[in-house]
This record gives sequence, structure tokens and C-alpha cells, in this order.
Amino acid sequence: MLEVSDLVTAYGNIEALKGVSLRVESGRITCLLGPNGAGKTTLMMTIAGILHPPRGSIRLAGIDLVGLSPARIVAHGVALVPENRLVFPQMSVRENLLAGAYQRRDKADIAADVERMYERFPRLRERHEQLAGTLSGGEQQMLAVARALMSRPRLLLMDEPSLGLAPLVVKEIFDIVAELNRDGTTIFLVEQNAHMALQVAHRFFLMEQGRVTFKGTPGQLAEDEVIQRAYLGTRRAAG
Amino acid sequence: MDDYVIGVLSNIGVISFIALSAYLLLLTGEISFGQQAFFAIGAYAAGIATALWGWPLAAGLAWGAATGAAAAILVGVPTLRLHGLYFAIATLAFAEMVRLLFELFSYQVVVDGEFIGPNGADGFRGIRYIFENDIGPLRFLLVIYGLLAATLAAFMLIERSRLGIIFRMIGEDEVLAETNGIAVARHKVLAAGLAGAVAGIGGGLYAHLTTYVEPRIFDVMLGVHSLAYGLIGGLGTAFGPLLGVLIDIGLLESIRMFAGYRMIIFGGLVALLLIVRPRGLLDEIAVHRIRKAWPRILAAGERQTLHLRRPQ
Amino acid sequence: MIDFVQTTIDGVMVGASYGLLALGFTLIFGVMRRLNLSYGPSIMVGAYLGTLLYVQHGASPVAVAAMTVAGAALAGIYVERLCFAPMAVGAGVASMVSSFAIWMQLEQAAVLVLPRHTYPFPPLATGAPLMLGPFQLRIDHLIMLISALGMSLCVQLMLYRSRFGLALRAIIGNPVAAHLVGIDVRSAILTAFAVASAIGGFAGYLVLAADQQVTPMFGMWATFKGLVAMMIGGLGSTPGAILGGIVLGVVEAHGQWYFGPQVRELVAYLLLFGFLVFRPGGILGEPPTRSVIDRRSM
Repeated sequence: MLEVSDLVTAYGNIEALKGVSLRVESGRITCLLGPNGAGKTTLMMTIAGILHPPRGSIRLAGIDLVGLSPARIVAHGVALVPENRLVFPQMSVRENLLAGAYQRRDKADIAADVERMYERFPRLRERHEQLAGTLSGGEQQMLAVARALMSRPRLLLMDEPSLGLAPLVVKEIFDIVAELNRDGTTIFLVEQNAHMALQVAHRFFLMEQGRVTFKGTPGQLAEDEVIQRAYLGTRRAAG
Repeated sequence: MDDYVIGVLSNIGVISFIALSAYLLLLTGEISFGQQAFFAIGAYAAGIATALWGWPLAAGLAWGAATGAAAAILVGVPTLRLHGLYFAIATLAFAEMVRLLFELFSYQVVVDGEFIGPNGADGFRGIRYIFENDIGPLRFLLVIYGLLAATLAAFMLIERSRLGIIFRMIGEDEVLAETNGIAVARHKVLAAGLAGAVAGIGGGLYAHLTTYVEPRIFDVMLGVHSLAYGLIGGLGTAFGPLLGVLIDIGLLESIRMFAGYRMIIFGGLVALLLIVRPRGLLDEIAVHRIRKAWPRILAAGERQTLHLRRPQ
Repeated sequence: MIDFVQTTIDGVMVGASYGLLALGFTLIFGVMRRLNLSYGPSIMVGAYLGTLLYVQHGASPVAVAAMTVAGAALAGIYVERLCFAPMAVGAGVASMVSSFAIWMQLEQAAVLVLPRHTYPFPPLATGAPLMLGPFQLRIDHLIMLISALGMSLCVQLMLYRSRFGLALRAIIGNPVAAHLVGIDVRSAILTAFAVASAIGGFAGYLVLAADQQVTPMFGMWATFKGLVAMMIGGLGSTPGAILGGIVLGVVEAHGQWYFGPQVRELVAYLLLFGFLVFRPGGILGEPPTRSVIDRRSM
């Protein structure tokens, strides 16, 4: 569904992405692993349209997303759950969800979807009038996921959903990821927590220093080698 | 050099002081709309010193610098906790308070049989030191630029020294600087004091140049202008603000035919410039490039002279 | 005692218009985190167009009001496009200096078109003031107060009950996340600017109609009143804007009554400075956290 080809994104003169190519299959969970600074978040932000790549292409079911504004990319069915959640802190849980559905005009369906989110994430229902900035990390993560789902995306991008969360909460989050995929959402997931990610991924890519250095399925590479390269990078992968 | 040109150059010189003052604070990361307060304090202090107390010019200017610095430290300490926009507005409020206080300030002394001294909104006339001591316009111009050169030299010294690096570090990221062991608060107060002193000298020179000051002159326009000079000329070097002053006063004075439309054109040009160069003409990147190319420029110059010296 | 209450009443009325000015200012500041120094001058452009309509065509007060509002909105859009839209994150100082440059530009343009020092503005209401017991209530002041309260109610409704308001609050809350949920941030900011300038234009109309004249100094005056009222009431708070305006109005009125007109301004700035040093969040705003007003995030 998503095809990234030779993507280059730079901050000034420094290239964070040095020609990234990968593919996300429809209906599957694809994971991108890699150490800090590899460029994973840069890739997510580029796909979402926040950053602009000087070179390369990003095709969603054939349509090139490069150069489109973030709002138009959302209109094409992409939603990003960003690193660090980025909830709207002064708005209530309910309003955050409504913001997620910003581009939709079908009020009745939006209300039904809000209900569905409360069912999937009961803790959000408990706190539905609470200001999002006062939620715990895990609750904010759920809110961020639910908010992204409100736009009924074809492709859900997730940037480090486990960041800063307790292990039990991380398990919850990944259960939700698996469940969402079972219900039909295509997911592209960036993670540092290689162990959890490999449990749910159908396919994964390894990224180091702005390049994709491995692609395959869980099991193709011994898990400890994956973890080693995901956290530490390999000495071979020199720019 | 005719009197008109001397007048314009003197103006440029004096205003450069307040531009440098705002620039120094900007280096430490703080936007100040209020340096005109210290310019005013320096002007009144130096004027009072020479016209009312009979001090020599040098002492008067030093007094202006000292009072400017003291006032700057006085306002710098309570505003330490403020950042960004809050600090900027606080400086604006302070400067306006100073201006309004000068409108109420009256201090007159009988000198040679007449009352001289600041008189509220009527201003302060009779700062005639340079006339009474036969310092002609050209000589005073040299005084102004002598002091300006000394100030610039001090700035260049600071920029190359550890202090300059500390200032820029604070400007980049205060928290990071603090964790690196820098006493941020003390350095910010130091910067404020230095900036106040520089503005104070400029004010003192201004008062003696025009022989007359009134509170109305030291308004927000002056303050924002002084900030703008650095933004236009460039924040990469102390010459940036000077370039800004030169462009505004120098260029515009000479474009007489645009008299009525001056601000319309200039305002639009500044806005356009800032889109393309948000840190001014001589911004850090430009200065870096010039510094890198300098050896090559020097070498090229040498080659030229060698070429000329060789018998051909 | 009667004087004290009367002065307070007068202060509240005038303060309501300050509050309206602050309302527009705070809307822009909330979404941009930058000061628009051309705010007052944009309103002045509208006012000058309004007075032109009045002087050359004898237009009715309603038409003049509409022209003032529309003119201010258009000028606001011009400022936004030139000074704020093209600037990257972190170029906050550049935007503010740019808006200062345009302030000068607009002021000179206004003076070129209408060179006299003062121009007439149609009055809001003629007629004797109402008497409430021993206290006088000028009718035009009353209109100002009611309009200010009504307008701030409208703004609250807009912010909390409309889709556009949701977008604005999202941008204020987290600009990146606002992009990610599909909000067209650039066009929302442009609209916010236009709306804020229009509100300012309306406030300006009320003030000028009560004064019955407009001068070139009005631009700077309006910016400062709006700025001071906004800071006292609390940045980013819409009820704070009105409250700040009223507090400013009352303090100024008493300052003038007890100490004279020069001290009036002094007291206002002293109040502002005091708030900034001791309570920078203002009356209703939040105390500034570093990340919010960081120079780099501007």
C-alpha cells in the first residue's frame, strides 16, 4: 500500500535520510526498527508531510504524497500517532477525539466512532472530560492512538508507541496494535522495543544511519542479532 | 567635509551605540525593546554633569555610562526569571516608565545667571559643553567615532574571548549552559550592565551633539529601531548593527526624492529582507563564510601585489 | 465616595474597549506566539477608510463601522502574509521586527492619504447621559461596554462551539499535532488573523466614535492598550483579555483622578511591570513555562 523509494530528507545540509526505500503491505503490520538517531522519526514526519524531502517518492496506493500538505495527506487516509503522543493538553479527552475527526463532516458517524473508541479504550471513557495534559503516559498513548483512528485511516503510522511506558502498559498497547490489524487496519510501526515489535510484525525493516540495512520477516534474523542492531547499530553500517 | 555630511555621520555614530546595546542583549538570547531607557538616562546624566555640575566631557560621559549600567542592572535582576516575549514586554514597560518619569523630572540650577536643567516635558536645553569649549563639529565627530571604535574593539575582544562564547551559549540554550556549569544569572546581569553602559555613552554623546534632549525622543520607536538595526544588518558580528544603522540613516537620508514615501519603501524592504534573511544581512552563516574566504581573499590580494611588483 | 465610584464606572466602560483590543491581540498571540506590532496600525487603516467614507460620502455610523472592521481585517491579512506566514519556526524576532517595519509603512501610508492631524468620526450616540442615582452613565460608553461583553461572548462561543474554534485551540495546544489531525494550519492562522483584526477594528470603531476623532497616533495607542490589557489579564485567555482591559481602565481612571494625566500612563506601565515581575501569567492566564515562550520555539 505504501511504497517509499530513495527518500532523502535533510536538515539544512545534514541528510537524516540518505535514500530510504521500503514497502508496507496492505493489511499487514510492518515494523521499522533501529537505534536512536537512525532517522525513524524523520521518516515518519516526512511521510506525514511535516518534513519535505528534496528527493525521492512516497506512493500511497499509487498516489505520490511528496509535496502535499499534512492536511491533504490525512485526507488520503494516512494518520500518524506521533512520538511523544502530542495530545492537545488543554482540551478534554473527548475534544481530542473530535479533533482527530476534524476532516469528517458526518456528525452521527463521528459520535458513533467516539463511542467505539470508548469501548476499545475503557479508561478513556472514564476520563472523557478530563484535560488530556493530566493523563498518565499510558492513557495519553491510548488517546493518541484513538485520536488517529478517528479519521478512519487506511494506513496507521505509529512512532515509538512504547516510549516511556511501563512494561504492562506496553503489552496493552501492542495487544491493541494486533487487534487493530485483525480488524483490518494496515499498520506501519516504528519501534525501539524490538522484542515487542517482533511479536506482532509480519515484516520488518532495520534502519541505521539514514538507510535501510535489512528487510525480512521475524525469524529470518536471530532475535538477539536484531535487538543488537536495533539498539546499538552495527559497525558495518557506516555512512 | 561639509557640515551636513558631518551631521549625518555624527548621527550614525551616536545611534550605533544604542544598536550595539540591543545587539549585546540579543546575543544572550533576550529581546529588549527598552534600551532607549538607558540611552535617555545616559543623555540626562551626562548633560547634567557637564552643564550643571561643570564636569569635563570625559567625566560626564563616564557618568552617563555608569548610570546607564546601574539602571540596567537594577531592571535586569527582577526580570531574570522572564524570558522571550515576557522579558521583551517588561523592557518596553520599563522604558516607557523611564520616559514618563523624565516628563515629571525637574532639576534646575542657576549657572551663569540663568536656570539650566531638565524641566519635565519641556526637556533639557543648554547642553553646550562642546560649544563652550570650542569643539567643532569635525572634532566631535572624531570623539564619537573614537569612542565607537573603542567600543567595537571591546565587542570584538569579548566575542573572541571566553566571555563571548558564554554569552552565545546562554543565547542558544540557557538550560544547557547552566548544566555546563555556567552561572547564567550572573552573566545575564553582566550583559545587561554592559549593554546599559554602551547605551549610556551613546546617550551622553547624543545629548552633547544636539545640545537639547526631551523625553519624547526616547520613545518605543527608538527602542524597536535599535533592535531592528541588528536584525537588518545581521546578528553574526558587531558590525551587523552598524550596517543596519548605516542603511537606515545613511542611505535614506540620501534618497531625498523618496522623502514622503521613505517608510513605505523602507518598511516593505525590511519585511522582504527578513523573509529571506531572518538573522540579517551579516548573519552567522555569512560571517562564517566571510571568515573562511578571508585567507583566500588575502592571498588573492597578495598575489595581485606580487604581480604588480614583479618586473613585467 | 461618589467620585470614587463614578471614576470606577468610567474606568470600567473605557476598560471594556481596551479589553476588546486585547481580545484581538490575544487571539493572534495564542496561535502565533509572536507579537504583532502592526495590530494597532491595521486597525488604524480601517479607521482611516471609515473616516474617508464619512468625510467624503457622509456615510452612516453603521457603514463607517463596517468599513472600519473590513479595512482592519484586510490590513491584518496583509500583515500576516508578509510578516508572519513566511517565517520559519525560530524566526520570532524577525517576525516582530518585520511587523514593526510594516507598522511604520502603514502609518506613513495613512498620513499620505489623509494628511491632516485629525479627522472626524461619527459619534456613537448623542444625547444626555443616563443617571443612575448620583452616577452618570454616558450612553456611548454604555454601548461600548455592552458591545465588548457581547463580542467576547461571541469569541468564546466561536472558540468552544465551532469547528474553527476547535482548530484554533488545537493549534494553540500543539501545532504539530494540529497538522497531524488534518487541520489546514496555515489557512486557519490566516483566518484567525483576519478575525482578530476585525475584532480590533470593531474595538477601534467604538473608541473612535466615543472620541469622535481619529489621529495618526491611534495605531500605536491601540497596540499598546491591547498589549498591556492582554498581559495584565493573562496571555491566551479570552475572558482575561476583557478583565485585563477593565482593570487597566479602572487603574488609569483613578490614576488620572488622583495624580493627573501624566501619571495616568505611568501607573498603567507600573501595573504592567509589576504583573510581569510578580505574576507574569496575568490575572487569568497560566504562568509561562519555559517551553511555551522559548525564544527558539517562537
